Amino acid sequence: MKNFSVKELMVPLSEYATVSEGATLFEAVLALEKAQEEFDHTKYRHRGVLILNQNGQVVGKLGQLDVLQALEPRDENDDEISSLAQFGFSSSLVRKLRKDRRLLGAPLKNLCSKATRLKVEDCMQAVTEGEHVSQDDSLDIAIHQLVTGNHPSLLVTNKNQIVGILRLSDVFAAVFHAMKECEFPQSEETR
Amino acid sequence: MKALENLFDRIVQRVNINLRELDFDVKPHIRNLIPLDKMVKFYAFYGITPHHSLDFQFRHSNLAGSYFLGKCRITNAMLYKSDIRGDELKHRGDLFRYQQFEIPVTKDEGIDIGDSFLIKTLVHNFSHDPETLERFFITNTVSTHYANIHGSPTDGSFLGPFATVDLTTMNDCVIGTFSYIQAGEIGHLHIAPGTMWVRDPDDFNFLYRYPLNKLNRYIRYAAGQFPQGLLIDFIIERKEAFQHVFNVVNIEPPVPVPATASLDRFAVVMPNTHISDNVLVAQRAYLQNAHLGRGANAQENCYIINANLEGFNVTAHGAKIIEADLGQNVFVGFNSFLQGRPTSRLTIGKESIIMPHTIIDIDRPLTIPAGHMVWGLVNNAADLEANSIPLAELSKINGSMTRGRLFFEGNGAAFVTAFRERIHHILEANGAFYNGAQNRGHAQKNQNISFNTIQPYPDGELAGLYPTIMIQP
Repeated sequence: MKNFSVKELMVPLSEYATVSEGATLFEAVLALEKAQEEFDHTKYRHRGVLILNQNGQVVGKLGQLDVLQALEPRDENDDEISSLAQFGFSSSLVRKLRKDRRLLGAPLKNLCSKATRLKVEDCMQAVTEGEHVSQDDSLDIAIHQLVTGNHPSLLVTNKNQIVGILRLSDVFAAVFHAMKECEFPQSEETR
Repeated sequence: MKALENLFDRIVQRVNINLRELDFDVKPHIRNLIPLDKMVKFYAFYGITPHHSLDFQFRHSNLAGSYFLGKCRITNAMLYKSDIRGDELKHRGDLFRYQQFEIPVTKDEGIDIGDSFLIKTLVHNFSHDPETLERFFITNTVSTHYANIHGSPTDGSFLGPFATVDLTTMNDCVIGTFSYIQAGEIGHLHIAPGTMWVRDPDDFNFLYRYPLNKLNRYIRYAAGQFPQGLLIDFIIERKEAFQHVFNVVNIEPPVPVPATASLDRFAVVMPNTHISDNVLVAQRAYLQNAHLGRGANAQENCYIINANLEGFNVTAHGAKIIEADLGQNVFVGFNSFLQGRPTSRLTIGKESIIMPHTIIDIDRPLTIPAGHMVWGLVNNAADLEANSIPLAELSKINGSMTRGRLFFEGNGAAFVTAFRERIHHILEANGAFYNGAQNRGHAQKNQNISFNTIQPYPDGELAGLYPTIMIQP
């Protein structure tokens, strides 16, 4: 298998969807749509948005799951239901209560007002230690970080500046192609 | 007092080591709760009767104002005005039934308290843990005002004010203020204040959580501060009456006590109180204009004021009943606070169950129909509707039920049966069914207790510590 470097597989920051702190959830989704339109359509589509602070530094990531979680109905009963498992209640009861709650306040019901009201910093995942990888690191190191940290992507740095995103989908594609090469080696005649 | 300070530090360290996973530091909670110089002032006392084991061992401990009965070992501990009541411990030769097992008890059970600081705590009943049949231990634990450790071996834990752990083995837990836990076995849990949890893993699960903004009016507690709220105010207003009974050596019962009943000499009895046959009134109970019908009982830290209990009523440890009329066989659980008013009395129909840690505080007359279960906070008829259920209806549930802030899952009939059997057992143990020859219980066995006092070093390095004392027949 070819020993890729992180730099070869990453998406440059300039091609990624970004918004500034203070943007609404709706603005983030628009930025994602725009980035997808401009992105090379032969590759996996973008699934996240980066949040930048005033200095242009990445402070958070907003993925599809984060958006859906932000639209979920939430009140004090939500935490109560979540904690029932700690007290030994069955998962079926917890599911039933959640379903009842969902019927009361379905996430799609007030979608428009929620999307324009919620700020990205209220929904994003803050960047944590262990999510950074150098652009010169090998793919092996990046895979180890993705797996042990259970991250959907890593922020790629060059001299402490974030220059790109290494997505799990791109890493998986590279590994998958390598596996196919192992399984079906080309014969001397066909070279 | 250096030795006492060292003992305090030792206990804090032991408890904190156990609670490190919960990131809980007990020191700010208890540092100023009881000034150490107060721990030197009070004598401790123990009871002797022909009906209970006499086996006390006190080592390197402070026992200020605490009471002991039965077989107790106290080592490296500080017990402030606590009741260690070993009159329900197992005896050698008993058979302990647990699931399909019948386990013989090979020696008399003892209460074993070590490296712990208990403040105004009640310890009672026997170990319900089949793995520690003969040793009801409380180790590396801090408990605060009016906590109850009832049949619950406990290690490495903290109990907030008015917290109760009942029939539960507990390791490395924090139990919040006014929480009641009866769950068999728990470990590494941080239970929020105002949690009421009763669970049998095979049969049922009952959980109610108080709205904290409303509970705070009755009881609230923050590290470094004395507990506050109406429950504390209520007790402080009546504190002086207890000073008299603890200061006087010989005290005559202020009201007639039938030969089949027991009135502890450390209980407060105010005028117009009536005690019927087979009644038990425990130490630190407070009765004022109270009618206790046949077989009723008032356990430690109970207050019964301007109230009428028709008979066979259980008023469990710490329960308070004011301006109320209770029918026969009404059960009022641990630390419940039932406050009617002269012009708005509380009436509870026969065979109703007021769950432990229930608060009923009304300013209009309220009637709880017979055969109901009530829980949580009730301030009016609407609250009662949300926080009660007929026992017959509860018995039909097989699945789950949510009502207000209550979550219930399991077999309702098993839940009701478990409570009814327990209430019957409590009445039986307290001698409510004594017929002159059979069914003797605490009301008959605790009538003639001799009390002896013991005191600590009054001064010097060892001030506050009691010398090593062993008391045996």
